[in-house]
Amino acid sequence: MKAVIFIISTVVIFLIMNQLYKKYTYPFLLPLLTTTIILVIILLSFDIPYADYMEGGQYIQHLLGPAVVGLAFPLYNQRHLISKYKYTIISGIFIAMISGLFTIYFMLRIFKLDESLILTALPKSLTTPIAMQVSETINGIPPLTAVLVMIAGFGGALFGPFVYKLGKIQSPISRGISMGSASHGVGISKLRDYSEEDLSMGSLAMGLSAIVGAILCPIFVMIFF
Amino acid sequence: MPFFALTMRIIRTILQIIILYIFYYMGVLIVHYTGLPLPASVIGLILLAACLQFKLVKVDYIREGAGFLLAFMTLFFIPPMIGIIDYPELLSLHGVILMIAVFLSTMFTIFITSTLSEKIEKKELAVKEKKDREGEGAIESSHIHH
Repeated sequence: MKAVIFIISTVVIFLIMNQLYKKYTYPFLLPLLTTTIILVIILLSFDIPYADYMEGGQYIQHLLGPAVVGLAFPLYNQRHLISKYKYTIISGIFIAMISGLFTIYFMLRIFKLDESLILTALPKSLTTPIAMQVSETINGIPPLTAVLVMIAGFGGALFGPFVYKLGKIQSPISRGISMGSASHGVGISKLRDYSEEDLSMGSLAMGLSAIVGAILCPIFVMIFF
Repeated sequence: MPFFALTMRIIRTILQIIILYIFYYMGVLIVHYTGLPLPASVIGLILLAACLQFKLVKVDYIREGAGFLLAFMTLFFIPPMIGIIDYPELLSLHGVILMIAVFLSTMFTIFITSTLSEKIEKKELAVKEKKDREGEGAIESSHIHH
């Protein structure tokens, strides 16, 4: 019974927040953010432990697996871009992954953070569902990873255009690759301001870098931990 | 939409989600038997992408199912996201360092990736153009010989 209530309330709150976001498209109204905050406030104020909530929540989470598999569909649709810019895309994504992993690793090592927190931060540039599952695979803390993924996304969306101005970046392909592989879906939503080509390159880079990142993160962990 | 068409569409979407589940469970089995340190869903994603590319699975078999799941993707990771209530560390000094480091790393990555990609892209396009021109030249010269 309790499980059913948690499932229904999560779905209903999400649907309302989704509608709200469709009406007012501000980044701080992202359904992930608003729905999570509302549910956390509800759980805290009624003193409901997370484990109790998950009696219902686990059924919703279960659909995440096939949904991630479904990401093959948009990837397949954008394959024409791959053949046109093969080398640029492949090297760009590897540069982004290597840069992301090494910079976060050394910064956190310098500040002597716990290994579990460093592991948690490694998948930050991947799209949230994959980042959380990679975090679980390498013994990080998945919900904390999700928060860091949001920061990477908002950082890119808010300050990415400034970086492009600074580096005098003109090409939609370069903007798409860098934003998609560093700031995933939240970041590429900002590419709408540039062009359609920016956007499709961004979502292709997001999908490809999620796969490459999921493979590279465990290898990185084997070498450095 | 007429009732019959709607029912058929719902059935089709459910069947397609089952196909996606099959790929997901193939990933689960592969992880179970090989111990690969990869999420099962990512292996399922790679398998499906390969099957689409090599025309082993028609894109029509998954279009509606994938579209439906992707439209609600955010909903599915809200439950694990709420797990954050068990980690108040985020509001500590270490939490703040973590967030600042992620921000800086992201900015640096966007900068270095966009700068280098632009250089590589120019080179790739130049090489392609050269190849195209040579290709045309070859056709023209063969023309002259005939």
